[in-house]
Amino acid sequence: MSNHIDTSAYSAVTAAIRSEAARLLAGGEVSAVIGYLPARRKGSAQPAIITSADQAAELIFSPACVNNLAVYLTKAKKEVPKSGRIAITAKSCDMRALAGLIGESQLQRSDIHIIGLPCPGVLSSVADPSALLTTDTVASKCLECEFNLPQGADFTPVVNVTAPRGPSRYAAEIARLEAMTPAERWSFWKAQFSKCIRCYACRQVCPFCYCEQCMCDRNRPQMVETTPRPAGNLAWHIIRAIHLSGRCAGCAECERVCPMDIPLNLLNRKMARELKELYDYEAGFEPQEKGPLNSYLEKDDQSFIK
Amino acid sequence: MCDQSQNIYLPNLVTIESIIDETPDVRTFRLVFQDDRVRENFTFRAGQFAEYSVFGAGESTFCIASSPTRKGYIECTFRGVGRVTEALRRLETGDTMAVRGPYGNSYPIEQFYGKNLVFVAGGIALPPLRTLIWNCLDQRDQFGEITIVYGARSEADLVYKRELDEWQGRTDVNLVKTVDPGGNGPEWDGRVGFVPTILEETGPSHENTVALVCGPPIMIKFTLPVLEKLGFSDEQVYTTLENRMKCGLGKCGHCNVGNVYVCKDGPVFTAAQLKAMPNEF
Amino acid sequence: MRSPGKRAAVRVVPDNETKMQKHISEQNLKALLDRLISTGTRVIAPRVETGTLLYGPIRDASQIDLSRLPRRSAKETFFPVCEDILSYEKHGQQVTVGDVDPARFAETVLVGVRPCDAAAVPVLDAVFTWDYNDAFFLERRRKTTVIGLGCTTADDACFCTAVGLAPDSSTGSDLFLTPLKSGGYACQICSEKGERLVAAHGDLFTAADHAETVPFATPSPGNIDLKQVKSWLDHHFEDPLWDEIATRCVGCGACAFVCPACHCFDIVDEGTEKQGRRRKSWDACGFGKFTLHASGHNPRDLQPKRYRNRIMHKFKYYDDKFGQTLCTGCGRCIRICPVGIDIAAIVEDISQRS
Repeated sequence: MSNHIDTSAYSAVTAAIRSEAARLLAGGEVSAVIGYLPARRKGSAQPAIITSADQAAELIFSPACVNNLAVYLTKAKKEVPKSGRIAITAKSCDMRALAGLIGESQLQRSDIHIIGLPCPGVLSSVADPSALLTTDTVASKCLECEFNLPQGADFTPVVNVTAPRGPSRYAAEIARLEAMTPAERWSFWKAQFSKCIRCYACRQVCPFCYCEQCMCDRNRPQMVETTPRPAGNLAWHIIRAIHLSGRCAGCAECERVCPMDIPLNLLNRKMARELKELYDYEAGFEPQEKGPLNSYLEKDDQSFIK
Repeated sequence: MCDQSQNIYLPNLVTIESIIDETPDVRTFRLVFQDDRVRENFTFRAGQFAEYSVFGAGESTFCIASSPTRKGYIECTFRGVGRVTEALRRLETGDTMAVRGPYGNSYPIEQFYGKNLVFVAGGIALPPLRTLIWNCLDQRDQFGEITIVYGARSEADLVYKRELDEWQGRTDVNLVKTVDPGGNGPEWDGRVGFVPTILEETGPSHENTVALVCGPPIMIKFTLPVLEKLGFSDEQVYTTLENRMKCGLGKCGHCNVGNVYVCKDGPVFTAAQLKAMPNEF
Repeated sequence: MRSPGKRAAVRVVPDNETKMQKHISEQNLKALLDRLISTGTRVIAPRVETGTLLYGPIRDASQIDLSRLPRRSAKETFFPVCEDILSYEKHGQQVTVGDVDPARFAETVLVGVRPCDAAAVPVLDAVFTWDYNDAFFLERRRKTTVIGLGCTTADDACFCTAVGLAPDSSTGSDLFLTPLKSGGYACQICSEKGERLVAAHGDLFTAADHAETVPFATPSPGNIDLKQVKSWLDHHFEDPLWDEIATRCVGCGACAFVCPACHCFDIVDEGTEKQGRRRKSWDACGFGKFTLHASGHNPRDLQPKRYRNRIMHKFKYYDDKFGQTLCTGCGRCIRICPVGIDIAAIVEDISQRS
């Protein structure tokens, strides 16, 4: 049964963002504000980088503000002007990406002004952005959200929000995966990745895929075949999941943007679970330079080495 | 061209007949088609290019560097900069590789009959002009004065060194060779200076003359104004563009500069056509 | 060839076309497809595969799902995501190259194709026959009969009517189905191929009567004048617009891959130096390294320049070269874009600029 979600907070947050952005830009405190603007389709939103105070009046926050804007601060996005301090609006899921980027020295905390977004939830898919936000249409990650009032931002509007309540879809998905034998899991992922068309939407929206030359773009040697065929696709996604383990902030953008409905975030969540169990580690809550897969500690569990 | 098949992507097999190291990183292959029919019937025009491949590594685009007047073989000259060119460098004489082509437009050599020619080239950009130079020298009496201004960063970087000596020795060719300041060895007998500067000093007349230019973007940038200063109109100046090409057939979408497909509408363009193109090459 | 321009949403069927109308029931349509499958024809239709609705081969007609637009276009029936163009084997200094025989492409019936998908295929003919004939594409075209399906619903991403098409457009279809209120379909015969298919299975078709069709959808995109758009693009290669709309573009290939008209591709060798295949596969001008030279020079080094090429190619270059627009208004790129770039909004904006 689908429950309605209280969306009255969005307009208060919108008003707060607008005034904060206008203040920052008018006062020259930041050179740009990365936020969301409305788009043509009913209910839709789009990421935007505004540079003047009068544009601030158009910023919005709505259930269609799904994008993790942290990706625009990475070195992969060379077209985004990076002079001076930049303000960025961030939901708490997005802030985990910012924390990770700061930990990896891709961002300086002092270079960014974080406008936290109290968030009742966002749509799972914006194929129809005018859809009503309910516990059925809300993104799966929102049902897990513990911090829908962001922590550690420079400015967070004081707006009451409650996280959407509903049965965890993640728990069900992970349970289904864990109930499979290794052979069944291999078949499952092979079938999923055979759908991949190597559009790299997953990579391009991911704040942690900021490598200037991705493994897939190297051809000396050719580590991963570039054509969308099962073996190369499998290699690509496994490499990516491993490269993200201990870094992935769980924003689930990869899964949202995949044109072929591949449950990419499920794989990342499963890897995160493994890291929690093995190393008691969760990415994105504190800027940390090295996750467990990049560091060696004497007390690391070595029982898996037979 | 492999016209027995409907498959436009199917290349012809060639054997490497000889290899010349032009510079430490630039090599010339002389290639002979393995199929008798292709070897006898293969024709092309100066300025056209082909897709050369090593199976397993892929295809790479270079001009056909030999003259169409020389039958029985074709030549390509390339630098080892990437996966395919490095694989080409691992090949030896007698090895098999493949060639697909010829593609693109060509120099309108017939329109040059009776005119003087000025060739201006830099570094590894001599090959796309060398095909035309020999094409013209092989019918020398069709042309007026022939001047070649060619330079490279250093002596070692000059390509076709033996042919430079040959051209220097001819009385019907005025070769002006140069190296960048500092690039001359103790026995250098040419000029010292950047190609555009040496071109200006050479000062060829624009009257009844066609200029053909090929070089890295920076050289082209400074050479075109010199030609303009010398009185050449944009229609009297030809260049050949290199762009990232892949299929060579106008289909894959990689090589367009604005609405101009370098593999079909080019690679030979006049300066007038070049100036009309948007700034994305 | 269809020339770009505005069209009315509803097309009045001229009298001489009523002879070319048949009817076919739901049941008989399925029977037709099952019959084709059983006689060795490859039937491609929208069906759900591993959770996503795509045009793909079906084993039996009960698999088809004609309720909505498939996620990807029908172009891959003619221009596959990936295909071999040759094979090679090396023994010492000798190499044997294996050609790919176009005769191996099966006779195909592609059914349930929406107007935005069907119309794109003849548009692609121009580039695949430009001086060199791509037999991989053309042979598949020759061997495929297209059964189109009109649209009775549209969303606000649809803009076919703004680019010279309509939900009832039969361009590119050999037979064109229109749902009837009473069930089943009106079937318009649009070509000789369509005529042959109907003749070969005449028992499944009935004469057309005056049964009412379900009303066609009425997409309501903004005002787009393609001539106006082209004329602006002719003179605004440099313009602040490109940064405004495309700094947000993340540079994936989703828009190009779901598009019925995009056709860029890459050619690679896969295998070892001893044996392998040369393949061509989909590529996208949005990718960062699409125009990267081996020297390291990249003429389109920033995303706005790459996105500009997308708009230019679709609404100017393809028109310059072939007199057609490289967009059928299907709206897929709008729905799928990770960052909500709306090509209809962009083109509408450009259309307003003088």
